[in-house]
Amino acid sequence: MNTAALLCSYRADSVLAWESGHPITYGHFLSDVEALADLLPEKATVINLADDRYRFLVGFAAALVRGQTTLLPPSRAPGALAQIAREYGASYCLVDGTEQVEQLPSYRIPIGTGSPTYTAKVPQIPLGHPALVAFTSGSTGSPHPNSKTWGSLVAVARSTGARLGLKISDPMTVVATVPHHHMYGLEASIMLPIQHGMAFYVGRPLFPEDVRLALAEVPSPRLLVTTPLHIRACVAARVRLPHVECILSATAPLPLSLAEQAEALFQTSVYEVYGFTEAGSVATRRTVAESAWHVLDGITLHQESAGCVLQAPYVRGPIPFPDLVSLHDPHRFLLHGRGTDLVNIGGHRGSLSDLNQKLNEIEGVQDGAFFLPDETGTSVTRLIAFVVAPGKVAEHILSALRTVIDPLFLPRPLYLVPSLPRNETGKLTREALLGLLQELLKEERHGT
Amino acid sequence: MSDVPSLEAEVATLIVRTLTLKVDPAQIQPEEPLFGDGLGLDSIDALELSLAISQSYGHQIRSDDPETVATFASLRSLCQSIEKHRTK
Repeated sequence: MNTAALLCSYRADSVLAWESGHPITYGHFLSDVEALADLLPEKATVINLADDRYRFLVGFAAALVRGQTTLLPPSRAPGALAQIAREYGASYCLVDGTEQVEQLPSYRIPIGTGSPTYTAKVPQIPLGHPALVAFTSGSTGSPHPNSKTWGSLVAVARSTGARLGLKISDPMTVVATVPHHHMYGLEASIMLPIQHGMAFYVGRPLFPEDVRLALAEVPSPRLLVTTPLHIRACVAARVRLPHVECILSATAPLPLSLAEQAEALFQTSVYEVYGFTEAGSVATRRTVAESAWHVLDGITLHQESAGCVLQAPYVRGPIPFPDLVSLHDPHRFLLHGRGTDLVNIGGHRGSLSDLNQKLNEIEGVQDGAFFLPDETGTSVTRLIAFVVAPGKVAEHILSALRTVIDPLFLPRPLYLVPSLPRNETGKLTREALLGLLQELLKEERHGT
Repeated sequence: MSDVPSLEAEVATLIVRTLTLKVDPAQIQPEEPLFGDGLGLDSIDALELSLAISQSYGHQIRSDDPETVATFASLRSLCQSIEKHRTK
């Protein structure tokens, strides 16, 4: 059977993770994985909720060793976890500490229990093993599972490393402001390091001052894995970051002017990564130098009548792009915007039809629609919702929504209206909703 | 300390303006939670708000500071933290 090693290009005594200035070596890691793998229950799937990047990796690796599949729920809303648990009856949860998940057995991930293993054989994982399932919000209302084989995760990690020109002899340390529970964070802050003998910082800095302190806590050379939102905050705060070799940005388009400011202020190169859950990381570009995206090695692009598709040896069948793209050549494309059903709030992708369905399932809601106003570019644009729910108050609907959708998608504001401007065929056009919004704003200005 | 109530009004306005909330700043209860169930703010809001606070008051908020959880607990605790660390 074809396999790939859990770790690549590492030394047992080199550092894998930095925790409050304290190094955890690859040898310690192998010992932690071995110990946890022996303890895991005999189940097919596991929901790994650990926020600590190192504990998450120990849990993920132990699950791989045991031939189990890690599930990455789309959000921690109790409703979302419950739904996944129902569909994958055999699951249990791995957590950092003592948190308990309703109706699911939860186990704490132990670390540092044994002595470092310098002689252990590195686990070999079958390339075809379904290593994880990442969920995207489908238009049907239930999360759509995307299964990732170990082979596809390794292939993306290696092609990303090759693109960035990572030198194995001088391994970098990754500091990431993004969670590892989504594909980008998992690929760039966990898979990339373990497949190139690199290290990572276990925490997830949020504020500019956190980013500065986290970078200062790890040795040079450093790689910052982040988003346009965090870059904008760091630039605006004029924070003096320790030297970073390279900044990776993903989850939303990075404005050219922001990329230029970040490169100048932090004396570094800023690369954007484009990807989507169905395919993982797909392409990169250095924003200040090129507008076309260069696909990772192994990926080819094709124009089909319904749109652009990509193929790679590690994915099944041609995969359509969720965004509007045009081919430059078989290895380069231009991005023109997202499909009409997709929304992206602070890097979290959602489907309007999925959100609308969840809204309309709430007790007392007769009709309802989400609406994304035009983005202004200065700050994150939030969704608005128009709801017909006689006798209900907005707070009631908001708290019901809070249990079923990612909090970033909560409408701001939620307008209660007598009816929605549907046309004769029952359709709601963007223009009609925009008109309704303008009327409501006019009423607000007049204080009625 | 006599300045705290007026600072609370000022920061409440800053919160509403920065986050384009549909509430009257005067309606924000000083002791009510800002995140989760209270005003329902999230981590993107925390980032936007930290930026507005650093620009208005020169106070750089960090999350590994044991004070931060307490800082963002309510409008009142946020104002007390700004009062203590402000440079402008």
